[in-house]
Amino acid sequence: MKHNRGITLVLILLAAFILAALAAPALAPFDPLRQSLLLRLKPPGSLVGTRQFLLGTDDLGRDLLSRVLYGARISLLVATTAVAVSLVVGITLGLIAGWFRGWTATLIMRLVDTMLSIPAILLAILTVAVLGPGFLNLVIVLGLTRWPRYTRVAYGQTLQIANLPYIRAAEMAGASTTRILWRHILPNIAGPMMVVATSEFGLMILFEAGLSFLGLGIQPPNPSWGAIMAAGRQYVERAWWLTVFPGACLFTLVVCVNLTGDWLRDKVDPRSR
Amino acid sequence: MRRSAGLILALSIALSAPAHAQTKDSLVVDLPGDVATMDPQIQWDTDSYSVYRNIFDNLLTRDTAGKIVPQVATAWRYTNDTTIVFDIRSDILFHDGSKLTPEDVVFSVKRITTPEFKSPQLSQFDQIIAAEVSGPSQVTLHTKTPYPALLAQLVKLSIIPKAYVEKVGDTAFNQQVIGSGPFKLKSWQRGVQTNLEANDAYWRGKPTFKTVTFRAVPDGATRLADLRTGRADLTRGLTPDDAVAMKSERGLKVQSVATERVAYLFVNALFGPTKDVRVRQAIAMAIDRDTLINALQQGYAKPVDIVLTPANFGYVTDIKAWPFDPARARALIKSAGAEGATVPFLTSPVYDRRLNEAVQQMLDDVGLKMTITVVDQPTYLKRRLGQPEESGSMSQGRWSCACQDADGVIFPLFRSGSAWSKFTNATFDAEVDAARATLDETKRMAHYHKAFEILHDEVPGIGLFQDEAIYLMKPNLQWQPTANEAFFVYDMKWAN
Amino acid sequence: MGQLSSHLASRLGQALLASFGVLTIVFFIMRLSGDPTLLLVPEGATVEQINQLRHQLGFDRPLGLQFLSYLGDLARFDLGQSLVQRAPVLGIVAERIPYTVALAAGALVVALGIGIPAGIAMALWRGSLLERALSGFVLAGQSLPTFWSGILLILLFGVTLGWLPTSGADSLSALVMPSIALGAVTMSSFARMTRIAVLDELQSSYVTAARARGQSRLQAVRRHVLRNAAIPVVTIAALEVGNLLAGAVIVESVFAWPGIGQLAIQSIQSRDFLVVQAVVLFVSLVYVLTNLAADLAYAAIDPRIRAAR
Repeated sequence: MKHNRGITLVLILLAAFILAALAAPALAPFDPLRQSLLLRLKPPGSLVGTRQFLLGTDDLGRDLLSRVLYGARISLLVATTAVAVSLVVGITLGLIAGWFRGWTATLIMRLVDTMLSIPAILLAILTVAVLGPGFLNLVIVLGLTRWPRYTRVAYGQTLQIANLPYIRAAEMAGASTTRILWRHILPNIAGPMMVVATSEFGLMILFEAGLSFLGLGIQPPNPSWGAIMAAGRQYVERAWWLTVFPGACLFTLVVCVNLTGDWLRDKVDPRSR
Repeated sequence: MRRSAGLILALSIALSAPAHAQTKDSLVVDLPGDVATMDPQIQWDTDSYSVYRNIFDNLLTRDTAGKIVPQVATAWRYTNDTTIVFDIRSDILFHDGSKLTPEDVVFSVKRITTPEFKSPQLSQFDQIIAAEVSGPSQVTLHTKTPYPALLAQLVKLSIIPKAYVEKVGDTAFNQQVIGSGPFKLKSWQRGVQTNLEANDAYWRGKPTFKTVTFRAVPDGATRLADLRTGRADLTRGLTPDDAVAMKSERGLKVQSVATERVAYLFVNALFGPTKDVRVRQAIAMAIDRDTLINALQQGYAKPVDIVLTPANFGYVTDIKAWPFDPARARALIKSAGAEGATVPFLTSPVYDRRLNEAVQQMLDDVGLKMTITVVDQPTYLKRRLGQPEESGSMSQGRWSCACQDADGVIFPLFRSGSAWSKFTNATFDAEVDAARATLDETKRMAHYHKAFEILHDEVPGIGLFQDEAIYLMKPNLQWQPTANEAFFVYDMKWAN
Repeated sequence: MGQLSSHLASRLGQALLASFGVLTIVFFIMRLSGDPTLLLVPEGATVEQINQLRHQLGFDRPLGLQFLSYLGDLARFDLGQSLVQRAPVLGIVAERIPYTVALAAGALVVALGIGIPAGIAMALWRGSLLERALSGFVLAGQSLPTFWSGILLILLFGVTLGWLPTSGADSLSALVMPSIALGAVTMSSFARMTRIAVLDELQSSYVTAARARGQSRLQAVRRHVLRNAAIPVVTIAALEVGNLLAGAVIVESVFAWPGIGQLAIQSIQSRDFLVVQAVVLFVSLVYVLTNLAADLAYAAIDPRIRAAR
């Protein structure tokens, strides 16, 4: 019972983040891009004329609260899209490898090994160097570097399930491969795949922050949490709010995602109880 | 097997050695990057020459006022417009005890100017077509055409030992350099630090410091932490915000100097909405220079009205920049039919992003939509130096030719045919060509005056401010940094 | 044994093939984004001078030709000469490797030293306050961005408390903070893995038998569970090496730790192709080989476990 109350709280928090991200334009008190060069680095709670900066201002005088709200949009959007892309690509390749086996599987799994051998961050830096930074390219990079993780799990799971009697029966009854993969195997591996997806989601949020730290993520003046923190890093002592608030949000969101992932894993794999 | 044993040994030594013991005889400097090469002739970057300038002497040098004064050469005279004779000191010894002779000077020049040597510095010295020993202590240089910036370039020529380099070869020379400067190379841990020790036989006198250590610390915040905990005595490259924060640190001193580096905005005159001169003039009137200097640079900058600093020869004082007048700018943009036009701004992380974003806001206020694209430095250079279509409509620049002469600034930036220039104006070309073809300073100033008048009217670039180099050091370190950002430890000493 | 060695040979071959694939991908990606010529020359260089230097350095040759030339050198174990640093690439990379190895080792020590005991405690005292506290701690380690935790560590232990050096790699104490920053995420993985493994083993028949004989949970854990739960942990450790090498990139940047991660970033930024390729080759070889070792170890040990049950 205690366990259920805990997860309810986490899910509520998660929903709150998503809601804040969706409703950012309505909730943000100011334009997140509006600069006031004379109001740089004001502490939280500052009141200037009629304008109240609840979380303070950044190094160009922009309201931090508004930027954090819009930043939620970007973090969630990047992570969701990246996970979606790598999930689709990863599962597809994993299903194919697990079903057809033989040379196809060897080829795909060796490709997986190759991709996993490149340190993800180096591949990201290299790809951004060629494609240029920006939201779309960031998602492409993240999607391209993470799919192998899904493929591995999907492959292993597909191998196990493909041997089950009722799958064999369906095959003998003349069901098409696509139908079998889509209607029978996919639903059965959905559980473990969701577990991978949630842990990847948290990682994608952190990854985007890391790439922004290196200047390769979301471009200014767009306010991703990682970009705000990277820019605020040189003011860590003088303007602690620039790293603490987005950092706290980042941390809380990732914690919620990870806890959700754990809960999913418990549901899917009773062994871990 | 020997190699891995060596690596293990290096690792254990590296990890067990105590932290650098600091005494009054030693100086520890934190630099953003490690030396790329010790050989002074095969690279062109600040972190390298901050170190090797202390190992080598240069043919000429600049004093603290910026005037060119003798170093290895004691005197010089022009025998005609393209021939110059230098008298060489006879009392200089290299670190291996051998004498510095005119042959070494000629060798140093010839090595860089030989294309097969692949020196990136070739462009700075390729006006020199011949160099020969013309007497027991004399060297003669010949230039292609009269070249007024020659002496400024020779300030950067490090003299290397011919016999030693020819004996050990280029690769070994790079590892174990020998110069004639105030410090010798003791050890170079690539990527980590460089250790120098005093050259007690130095011809100008023994240096104050017995040892100098240059540490490579890429992260700015970490460099500040090093200074605050006393791990380092000196660092350079502080941002204005860092300077303001460090000013209140009792155990540290902030020192700044106006440099020859000019902060400017490039405006593409050949492509895009900025092709129209009215749009360019409007942009010039949209920029609030004073707010940029006060708010972003925290006062660590001096405004300039042209794309040049007073530290450069050729600076004119009677040409004023377009005034800050957003209303007039808006009207001008309307009349040019450019309201709402998209102005792509290309930049890289090397340049201060806050300046870019502030400019974006200012342009937005006069009706132009500026979009910022950030790419990494190699890609940025490739595009900026490419076709007008790829280089964006605007860009930020922080230009220094390390020559303190207008020829090194507005010639490459705006003369047609140069990779950086997205501007063509025959009169301007004629003026800067003439200014570099004569040694007469009055004539040169007249040409530059005309050139800057054209730049003012045509606005292919907007001068913002003269950059200041900000250093952080222990309060009792006495040193006057110079406008050309030279880093001579010989000139530093502890007070009292 | 014969079967094992031929299996080993084929996996090794596949591993090398994977590394080769990595090298090819990186080679072409890098060169597609330009060459270092523009970065090497002073600002005022003309187009002709730039092109001349480019030609001298060989960057204007067709890509395919450059690739073949590189492969030829590689076959002779020649990693080439860096055109940016004008020094042999092997020396440049080899000098930095010990630092990253030390950092990875330090991070592993942190991760294992904190993660495993935490995981065991979480499993043995399930549902207690201790478990909840530890879970929170483990969660924190997984959720903090390393660049942020890095600078906070420096400020706290370096500047404010003055206990540890703020940067550099001079002494063993300089290894502490980077190891903590880097090891935090891996610590979480180990804690979780250990917890699951221990929980799993606690339900097995021989532990029940041991408890029936009167042994406390702690005694049963010591005798049987730890030995058996160690296997998945060892496998994860081998796999985490790859992650550590990757995570080291940011940590090395923040702490001025002169390892190959920092070298890689600097070389990419200066388009020092040969150095980047050498680093990627090294990292992918390490990853692939540790993967292989983990797979083989697991395969070798696994049948014994099944037999023991």
